[in-house]
Amino acid sequence: MRRAARWISAGAAVGLLAACSTGEGVDLDGDEGTGGDATGEVLVAAIAGEPDQLDPHRTSSYFSFQVLENVFDTLVEPDENLEMQPALAESWEVSDDQLTWTFDLRDGVTWHDGSDFTADDVVYSYTRIIDEELANAWRFAAVTEVSAPDDDTVVIEVAQPSPNLLSSIGGFKGMAIVQQENVESGDIVTAPVGTGPFSVADYAAGEAIDLTANADWWGGAPEVGGVTFRFVPEPTTAVAELTAGDVHWTDNVPPQQVSDLEGNDDVVVGAAASNDYWYLAANQARPPFDDVRVRQALAYAIDREAIAQVTQYGNATVNQLAIPETSGWYTAYDTYSHDPARASELLEEAGVDGLEIDMMVTSEYPETVTAAQAIASQLAEIGVTVTPRELDFATWLDEQGQGNFDLLMLSWLGNIDPDDFYYAQHHSTGSFNFQGYANPEVDALLDEARTETDEAARKDLYAEAATQIADDASYVYLYNPDVVQAWVPELEGYEARGDGAIRFRDVSLAD
Amino acid sequence: MLRFTLLRAGHAVVVLLGVTVVVFALVHLVPGDPVRVALGTRFTQESYDALRAASGLDQPLLTQYVQYLGSAVTGDLGVSFRTGQPVTTILLERLPATVSLAAAALVIALVIAFPLGVFAATRHGRASDTVVRVASQAGVSVPDFWLGIMFILLFSVTLGWLPPSGYVPLTEDPLEWARRVAMPALAVGLVSGAILTRFVRSAVLESLGSDHARTARAKGLRARVVLLRHVVRNALVPVVTVIGVQAATLLGGIIVVEVVFAWPGLGRLTYDAVAARDYPVLQGSVLLVAALFLLVSFLVDVLYGRIDPRISAR
Repeated sequence: MRRAARWISAGAAVGLLAACSTGEGVDLDGDEGTGGDATGEVLVAAIAGEPDQLDPHRTSSYFSFQVLENVFDTLVEPDENLEMQPALAESWEVSDDQLTWTFDLRDGVTWHDGSDFTADDVVYSYTRIIDEELANAWRFAAVTEVSAPDDDTVVIEVAQPSPNLLSSIGGFKGMAIVQQENVESGDIVTAPVGTGPFSVADYAAGEAIDLTANADWWGGAPEVGGVTFRFVPEPTTAVAELTAGDVHWTDNVPPQQVSDLEGNDDVVVGAAASNDYWYLAANQARPPFDDVRVRQALAYAIDREAIAQVTQYGNATVNQLAIPETSGWYTAYDTYSHDPARASELLEEAGVDGLEIDMMVTSEYPETVTAAQAIASQLAEIGVTVTPRELDFATWLDEQGQGNFDLLMLSWLGNIDPDDFYYAQHHSTGSFNFQGYANPEVDALLDEARTETDEAARKDLYAEAATQIADDASYVYLYNPDVVQAWVPELEGYEARGDGAIRFRDVSLAD
Repeated sequence: MLRFTLLRAGHAVVVLLGVTVVVFALVHLVPGDPVRVALGTRFTQESYDALRAASGLDQPLLTQYVQYLGSAVTGDLGVSFRTGQPVTTILLERLPATVSLAAAALVIALVIAFPLGVFAATRHGRASDTVVRVASQAGVSVPDFWLGIMFILLFSVTLGWLPPSGYVPLTEDPLEWARRVAMPALAVGLVSGAILTRFVRSAVLESLGSDHARTARAKGLRARVVLLRHVVRNALVPVVTVIGVQAATLLGGIIVVEVVFAWPGLGRLTYDAVAARDYPVLQGSVLLVAALFLLVSFLVDVLYGRIDPRISAR
């Protein structure tokens, strides 16, 4: 509680020094790690910014997840192909009616403070996300109960068959298993206790977070003795640190320097096609964008390669659907090509002339501002005038919510299961369907795919839905940006991953 | 002297009050609800209410201001929207890094400015004076963060002499601190030194031509004595003012250089606070920097009295 207001009164000034205090902290979102005693060299990683906090359930910052990926575990976790593999759960079974998932937990797992990890911790973590309605509670929408019949077993009951449950609970560390004591003491914000390969040893605000290798980790002790995540906001400095050998790894690589770095023998550049995607969406509640031909005209008129070049310096793969070829959910689709003549025809058929487009962009994502200029010049070729409107992101979101836009550009991140990125955006009742797309056929496909447990059949359903979505130009998909990271040649065993997760547990530093 | 000191202190307090009004207004001039914006995707009704109450935003405006002022005076600057930590704690954590960088930069600036400024003034109109003038003009024109990046490329990447970035507290390891502070301090100090050089030069030049200098020379004093005891001392008054302004600017204005060198000081904190829309931290750091500025100006004013007794007598 905040102290009563201190009114300035006569004489107060005298007592002020004695009364000095720094005020009390407020628990916005709701801390102690002792590591193993590994002796390997410490890996130094430079990340572009500082985590806002280290509670995996509360943070939404990518910088936090870069660190927490190495500190926490989930029940299952994505491998390099983004398929779910055992982690804290060793195995699992689904009942015949597909409504009960039983997870068998790994034996002998301990928290960084030495206490035992049990099924109750899993129940606590999931219940916390659901009951406190945290940002990821939607991933549990189908879950009706989480229980622990014994210390080694967790049972999750779902209301309808949920083939995407594994990716919901394991897709990223936002679904990590946390320790009740650590949460309730409030320490988790700066000194989280996890079960992962590294424990948090020290946190120097504005500078760095030090992790120590957890020699008792269930996956085997990491080879490096620890990881120091330094916060280096300036990309030039981060690259200099890397070439000077003071930092072993960084993802703060300016896109325009990637080709230079690739020619540098002292640096290894790793790029992976990410599952993130950028798209354009036209507001179908506003004529003439309710006419599918007008939206298709936009899809033909833009030059995806040119847009990816100006925003990513070519470090991207153009795509007419959401997901890249590296994903198991990839569907081949190339209906649209850069064809201004075809675009003009479509506009003519739709009876649209002298179209003016209000395109909403935000400086929070500078890509949108740069892309808008390229798009404006491309659409000018077919007589369409695009006026970019730059907003701060909070206002941008507000305008999107109220439907005050003709066209917008945004990205969708960390996509593993297609339900995550098709349902919310293209189902007529989807929570992110701000473009107002409604196609009963697509709705039916998405509803069916959501509960289809046969993987091949499910894949076919999503391929059909995705093709229809692109044909209708509900979104005009642009490209998948590459995950670009750079490291020193001495760092062995590291791979850039498409989901952007940074795992240092298997790496080693050669002398 | 005491009266003069008290008067100056009074002025400083009035200015600081003005700063609190501006800083306080900051949150209310922002479009939309700052708490809602700050919480973003972490929004829940509970955290919203907790943060709003802790920030006092649920109270009438005047009450809020008086509360803000009252709390600020006792060192309570509210809590960070981003981390929930007390702002004062955060500021105090960052202060040593900034002060040590500013001090190192100021030393470099003075070491450059005094000899060069005095030298150029005594060589008024000659080629060496022109060289100093041109060089200092160039120094004034170069952005310090650009110099910083050039230093990193030269001293770290090419020569491999210094670590490119990072901070080690002076109290922990003075040698390592010096290695890390060298480049940022040089980048800031060179620019600051260039500004000071120009002031020192013109102040000494003016003093050289003054009556008392001529009198001193006429008395037959040696040129060195005239220069140091009579000319430079009299030139100090305007120079000290500029040094004060430079010192205060260094304390509050090394934002971009701190970002370039990953230096965990107040500038970096301010930069991050702007990016994260963390208004309490932004308010706190603006207030602290303003207070530091006033403190330095106050010290300079008091120092004036020592250098030139005529000032405090007025």
